Parts: sequence; structure tokens; C-alpha cells
Amino acid sequence: MKKILLVDDEESIHLLYREELEEEGYVVHSALSGEEALEKLSIILPDLVILDINMPGMNGIDVLRRMKEINQNLPVILSSAYQEFKQDLASWASDDYIVKSSNLDELKSAVRKHLS
Amino acid sequence: MPELRKDPVLGRWIIIAKERGKRPTDFIVEHSVSKGGFCPLCPGNEKTTPPEVLSYGDINHQPNTPGWKLRVVPNKYPALVIEGDLDKEGEGLYDKMNGIGAHEVIIESPNHDEAFSDLPQGRMLDVFMAFRDRIVDLGRDPRFKYVMVFKNFGKAAGASLEHSHSQLVALPIVPGRIVSEMSGSQSYYKYKERCVFCDIIHQEMKTDVRVVCQNDHFITLAPYAPRSPFEMWVLPKRHASSYTSQDHSSFQALAAIFSESMRRLNACIPNVPYNFVLHSSPLRSEPLDHYHWHVEIMPKLTQIAGFEWGSGFYINPTPPEDAAKFLKEAKV
Repeated sequence: MKKILLVDDEESIHLLYREELEEEGYVVHSALSGEEALEKLSIILPDLVILDINMPGMNGIDVLRRMKEINQNLPVILSSAYQEFKQDLASWASDDYIVKSSNLDELKSAVRKHLS
Repeated sequence: MPELRKDPVLGRWIIIAKERGKRPTDFIVEHSVSKGGFCPLCPGNEKTTPPEVLSYGDINHQPNTPGWKLRVVPNKYPALVIEGDLDKEGEGLYDKMNGIGAHEVIIESPNHDEAFSDLPQGRMLDVFMAFRDRIVDLGRDPRFKYVMVFKNFGKAAGASLEHSHSQLVALPIVPGRIVSEMSGSQSYYKYKERCVFCDIIHQEMKTDVRVVCQNDHFITLAPYAPRSPFEMWVLPKRHASSYTSQDHSSFQALAAIFSESMRRLNACIPNVPYNFVLHSSPLRSEPLDHYHWHVEIMPKLTQIAGFEWGSGFYINPTPPEDAAKFLKEAKV
């Protein structure tokens, strides 16, 4: 089964995403900060990462650049409540950018696309 | 005593806080430190960007592979979309249309740490030619009325990635700032039958108190009513309303004057964050006698706060005569 590392400082997002993604047949691992995500990356060896941007400590864009430095082929989907981070060219290192919404269809479709 | 000065084109007032008289060393510039990590603009990472719309490189260089020296790519996550119709419509007294536009990024160098101001003249010429090539290409699309070309350097000026790049946005409308500039210069022309920018150039060359540097084709000056300390305008000496109408020798001269101007600015205030914006006539317009294309370089050294937002006045602590003197005397 494909493994997803979900990185977000909000626990409610973990609850919501985990339920929906597990229903789709993925194994979901959680990290509540960028630092934790980078530590778990080499242990979990995820097939895909869903990464929040606005987090205390290391922000998602810096985490993204570190992750891609480690493994350029690892698909990373940025998931943020804010459209404006799209203007940050460093976000181009990601494979998709999804604006958070209560409807997870767009996110699930992006996950399917990158894990197919 | 502070002085109020009026911009002769826009009629915009600014306050020169003369008593503050800030010198280059008085400004605290936060040195941008490379964050490191993966860079989507570096050679080898071409697949992380959308396919290029233009590149300059070796003759055998294949698109979207390393070997380029300049590359232009569409924005991966654009705010405006290229496909579709404008579908203009009214909503009561309000107007709206679809968000059609093109947003492209000009990657100015394959070297991650090479700053624009350090580019050799030939490579700076490539950047200016790329601006021209893209404006000409996007100008063929009748939906677009204006192409705004700009650069943000340094975090304070809005650059989020250290790899040297500039941007352009093709718009279905002419931005308000350009409309105001065109209307201000037209009013001046109606009254005096002369281009206001040509008059500025003649007067500045005569008085020589705000001229930073010049060559046969171009002049860089500190404008009379600058919004920002060390603001510079680069203007062609020969009247032309459109950037794309220049011949090759003019573009070479533009690269030379720009390179010198940026080196002078950097010598005065190392690593200064700045924006530059190309001001040119709208796409497909006939040559205009009253408008004069130019580039405005705005160092980001002061904060825009409530007074500036509310009044439209800018407060500048460095008189342009002082700024021009420092820039002119800088060792480059």
C-alpha cells in the first residue's frame, strides 16, 4: 500500500485528511512540524508528501526545498489555506498546490494523479 | 525645513525630509542569506517548471534541458490564466471580466548565486532582448493590452527566491499607473507641444545635478521628486514611446547603462533590495509624441505606512541631488 506523509501543525487537518485518504486505501503517517517531517522522511520513506506551508518553526516552503534536495522524485503536494503563497516561486519545487477546503476532491484527485 | 516636490508627469507630491539627509551608510540593509536547498530555477531541475517559452543558449542546446544561459517559463501557479475569453460584463455600476493573462518568469542566469547587478553586459543584454522578444510575442494576442515587466530583488522588495529572475505579466487592461503617466504626459504635450520626458532629459543634462551616468543613447538620473532614496530612472535620450521599437545598438547601450547604474547603486548600498519596472506604451499603439518609455529603479529602503497609504505622499530622507552625487562618485 502507498504511504503518505501528512505534514500539518493542525491536528484537525490530520483527522479529516487521514479518514478520507485511508478510505482511498493509503497508509497515512503524520508529522506536526517541518522538523518532525524531515526526521520521519528517511524512516517512513513515503511515496508522497502532503505539506502545509504556514507552520511554526520551519515553514513548508523551506521543508519542501530540503525534501526535494534529498529526493527530487518524491511527489510533494503543498496544501495551504492561502492562495498567496502561490506567488512564492520557491513553491514551484512542489508537484501540486491545493488550497485547503472542506471538499477534499481536488486533493484526492492530485494524490491519485501522483501515485498512479 | 522639509520640502514638498511635485512630479511633473503624475502630479504626485513627495516630501523630501532634507534635515534627515540620509547618506548611503545610514541605511540598514538586511543581507539576504541563501536558504539553500532545492531550487526549481537551477539547471537540471527544468522539469519542475512549465516548459519554456523562450531560451537562449548554445546552438545545440535542447529545450528544457541544461545548457541554457537564459530561460523564460510560464508561472507554474499563475494568478491569471492564458486560456479563455475575457467575457467583459457589467454588474450594476461595477465592471468585471475573466482573469485572462500571462505571467512568465525570466530566469536570468543558470548560476544560482549570480546577482543581476553582477551580470556581464552581454548577459544583461540577453535579459533586455528576452523582455523585448516576449513583449512582441504576447503583443500578437489581441486580448492583451499591456505587458508589465518587473524585477524584485531581495526579500524586502518581494523576492522569495534568491535565484536571479525577473517577471512579466500580460494584462487585458492598461494598468492605472501607466494610464496616469500617459494622461499626465499628454496634458503637458497639449500645453507645450513637447514631450515632458524629453524636457526632463534636456534640463537634467543642462543642470547636471541629478544625472548619475549617461552614454550616447541613455541617461540615468535621480528624478526630481523621487519616492524612494536612491531612486533612478533610465531613459532613452532619443524620443521613443515603445520599448520594443529600439534597434540592437540601443539595446546594447541600455545593457551598458543599466549595468553601470546597478553597479553604482550596489557600490553605494551593497545588496540593496530593489524593484525595477519597465514603463512603455500599451501594446500595438502607434508611436506617441507625448510618451517616453523608461525604466524606474526603486531601492527598497523606506517603509510605506499609514501616512503614505492615506495621503499618496512619499517621505524621502535623501534628496535626489545628494543621491546622484553619491551614485556618480561611487567607485565602480
